[in-house]
Amino acid sequence: MTITQIPDQPESPTNRPPSMHRFRTWLRRPYARHILIWTVVIGFLLLPLAWLMVAAMNQTGAPASKIMEEIEQTVFVFTVVSIPITAFVFAVLLYSLIGWKQVSGDEPPMQESPAIRTNRIGVILWTFASSLLAFFLVVWGLIELAQITANSYGTISADQQPGDNNSVIVNVTGQQWVWTFAYPQHDGIVANVLYLPVDKPVYFNITSKDVIHNFWLVELGVKIDANPGAITQTGVTPNKEGVFNLRCAELCGMHHAYMETEIRVVSQEAFNTWTREMGGMRTS
Amino acid sequence: MSVIHSVEVPQPTQHGAAGGIMRRLNFGTGLAGGIGLAAILGIITSQFVPTGASSPITFAPIEGDLVYLAVLLGWVIGFMAGMGAFVGPIRWVLGREQTHEDAEYMAGKDMGKGRYWRYTTDHKVVGIQYFIVTLIVFGFGGLLAMLIRTELGVTWSEVFSPSFYNAIIGTHGIAMVIAMIIVISGPIGNFIVPIMIGARDMAYPRLNALSLWLLVAAVPCLISSLFLGGMRDGWSAYQPLIAQAPSGVLGYQMTIIVFAISTGIASVNLMTTILTMRCKGMTWSRTPILVYGIFAASLMGLYAFPFYQYSQILSLTDRIFNTSFFNPLEGGSVWLYENLFWLLGHPEVYVILIPSMAIMMELIPVFMRKPLFSYNFAVAGIVGVVALSGLVWAHHMYMTGWAPAANYPFMLSTEMISIPVGFLVLVVIGTLWRGTAWTRLPLMAVYAVIFNKMIGGVTGVYLSDVPADQYFHGGMFVVAHFHYMLMGAGFFGAMGGIAFYFPKMTGRILDERLGSIGLWTTFIGFQFTFGSMFVAGLQGQPRRVLQFDEQFNISNWISTIGAYVIGIGVLIFLAAIVFSWKSGVVASGNPWGSKSLEWQTPTPVPLNNFAVLPVVTERPYEYGVPDPLDAELEPAPEEQLESAGTR
Repeated sequence: MTITQIPDQPESPTNRPPSMHRFRTWLRRPYARHILIWTVVIGFLLLPLAWLMVAAMNQTGAPASKIMEEIEQTVFVFTVVSIPITAFVFAVLLYSLIGWKQVSGDEPPMQESPAIRTNRIGVILWTFASSLLAFFLVVWGLIELAQITANSYGTISADQQPGDNNSVIVNVTGQQWVWTFAYPQHDGIVANVLYLPVDKPVYFNITSKDVIHNFWLVELGVKIDANPGAITQTGVTPNKEGVFNLRCAELCGMHHAYMETEIRVVSQEAFNTWTREMGGMRTS
Repeated sequence: MSVIHSVEVPQPTQHGAAGGIMRRLNFGTGLAGGIGLAAILGIITSQFVPTGASSPITFAPIEGDLVYLAVLLGWVIGFMAGMGAFVGPIRWVLGREQTHEDAEYMAGKDMGKGRYWRYTTDHKVVGIQYFIVTLIVFGFGGLLAMLIRTELGVTWSEVFSPSFYNAIIGTHGIAMVIAMIIVISGPIGNFIVPIMIGARDMAYPRLNALSLWLLVAAVPCLISSLFLGGMRDGWSAYQPLIAQAPSGVLGYQMTIIVFAISTGIASVNLMTTILTMRCKGMTWSRTPILVYGIFAASLMGLYAFPFYQYSQILSLTDRIFNTSFFNPLEGGSVWLYENLFWLLGHPEVYVILIPSMAIMMELIPVFMRKPLFSYNFAVAGIVGVVALSGLVWAHHMYMTGWAPAANYPFMLSTEMISIPVGFLVLVVIGTLWRGTAWTRLPLMAVYAVIFNKMIGGVTGVYLSDVPADQYFHGGMFVVAHFHYMLMGAGFFGAMGGIAFYFPKMTGRILDERLGSIGLWTTFIGFQFTFGSMFVAGLQGQPRRVLQFDEQFNISNWISTIGAYVIGIGVLIFLAAIVFSWKSGVVASGNPWGSKSLEWQTPTPVPLNNFAVLPVVTERPYEYGVPDPLDAELEPAPEEQLESAGTR
């Protein structure tokens, strides 16, 4: 048995260049360089979408609550985050179609393309990047959802909702095809237009008399089903005075399209005046 | 007598001419049987139900319901009997089992065009039949889409009554869902997949015919429902609104019940074929990706459709027998229905999308003359989507108040799906990377699919997120998103697949010019229609409305104009199909220079597909030459070793 003596010396040199050098060599290829340029250009062209989308959402006066602000922030961030990846795919798509080699004709082309079966670095990078992105989306979503749940006062059941002067309770009933709002704190006055005082927490107890409706306060960012045989809870604090839209967002029969009404977010004084006019004795 | 290993195997004896009673049965007898039995059952039912009988719950007159149900049942059973669906079991009971000659007759041997009108078991005939049925269902749904857009474009008045409008949106939805589910798995899955895996036919040829003719039986149920008031609750047919619908809803429910049986049979058949009948040498790593896609779609369909079927059966008994599964007044739950429905609903979109992705991955290597980039990743992506598809259904119920705490895990699982779908996108763009594009019609369709799929995928991320969904749920944004996925990816993928396999299926090449004009017209119209629908959704337009505030007018006008452009484009594409089929350029066996098995058979494909069963010796997609640019970088050490070894 012989023992080979391994000489104590630095590792023998390989002809593998350092990774930065490989990257630079790769970048010198026209294809890689062009696609990166196209990605940046397309990315910047798509960037205005982030503002345009929010602008479209704000057309009728949103955001009128913290919830809606958070929703718009989410839409904005998601747009910005998804632009690089969309731009990259579009760049590859367009460049491989109109920027690189192209043949037409009836016969299959003889000119064969490089047989790239896989690319370990590319695959690892892509997996890592897409997982990171998905992770970011999930974390962002979970945090925002927790905040929105907090801002909409979760699902506090009717007997635990504070009945004090610092909040308003509204019992919402959907029926084909009208919304009814009852204010139990104000001697049970009933209205078909949703009056809310500004900057005060509102608790909604929502149910339906017949079929499923969806209670959507558009500019306030509140949306929840009104189910027959069940009460769903949510809430909001409107932080902007104005007239906003309330629509039904679940097909509920013939006149579903017309099942909409106004939300009037008014000052506390105006709200008190309104409740007195409606016959409620107690002011809050 | 057959002789296997010197043992004589007794064969059933032939009675009379091959085929027996099947010689006399065809589509005509099917129609006669269906209409006859429907009439008989309808008349009997109307005699037995007292006039003016009403439901004890809703006080609605029930006679119409029962008669219509009897007519539907009579139609389905009579039609299937008239087609000869029950002949096999009856012969088995009588002890006259099918002989080899019978089987050959039923496969349509030497029969000519008549075999397309019969209960033919040959998978190639079934594939063509599926294609025709898909076109009919698609045309029906498309017509309704035009009506919907007309109503929404005419913002100054109501074109249709609200009830009829609600009926057409629901019927459009379910017709298109059915059409999109079968558009790839039906024609291409039946015609191409068995040849692609080197089999002589499907595993269960008679079940294949059964699944097709059940589908045919379901179509009149769907169309007739529209004339009896329709189902007025969107294609989701939520309880308890559906309880208010007129009798037409029974047509929808019968359609779903029959269609689910048809899909289940077809799924089992395709899965068994793929699992057991791949030819020698076709290991899992040598199986083309389309086969994986069809297998995945079948698996998900097999899992998902029973939920839909149960939900509709329970809904039907709620209506007919006053059970109260979903009636909250009697202790039922509307959330139970929603859960059952979406347990179907979400796997179902992947049943549509995965085949279209797989078709794309099948086409790109051929037209780029490159191997599929990272084949393993493509398979992993498909497996990942299938695994997650059953765990995400409740993201359709974020805003129902069913279980607010469940929104957290469902948001997690839904956003996880972007990872395997991302794998598929990587495979696609990796295969496009540095390929020489042979710009034929199928490749153009692929480009259209990827473009639409990116938009649909990114907007899907907003909807998977609960906070953003709180604004978008139930709005036009959702409508635009799923049309980008189902039509933008599914339908354009089907266009590419049909254009690609057209030479093999019909023996003629799809007219390139007319087809391209159709494709791009549809594409441009599509971007206008559904792009502006995103805007309407962002502005806050709810879906399924027929009138809306003035602020939504402009986006709806653009949308309607785009929809008419789509209509024209689809008609042009249809014209390309019809003209090419009748008088197109006759195709050679392998016009695309593809290397997969289905192109190695002659065109038209002989009854047995292969004279000698093939043996696969290499991976699919072995196109291309060694990368010349690799010389620029240093050759990797292991490659040096390999090249040294070969020398």
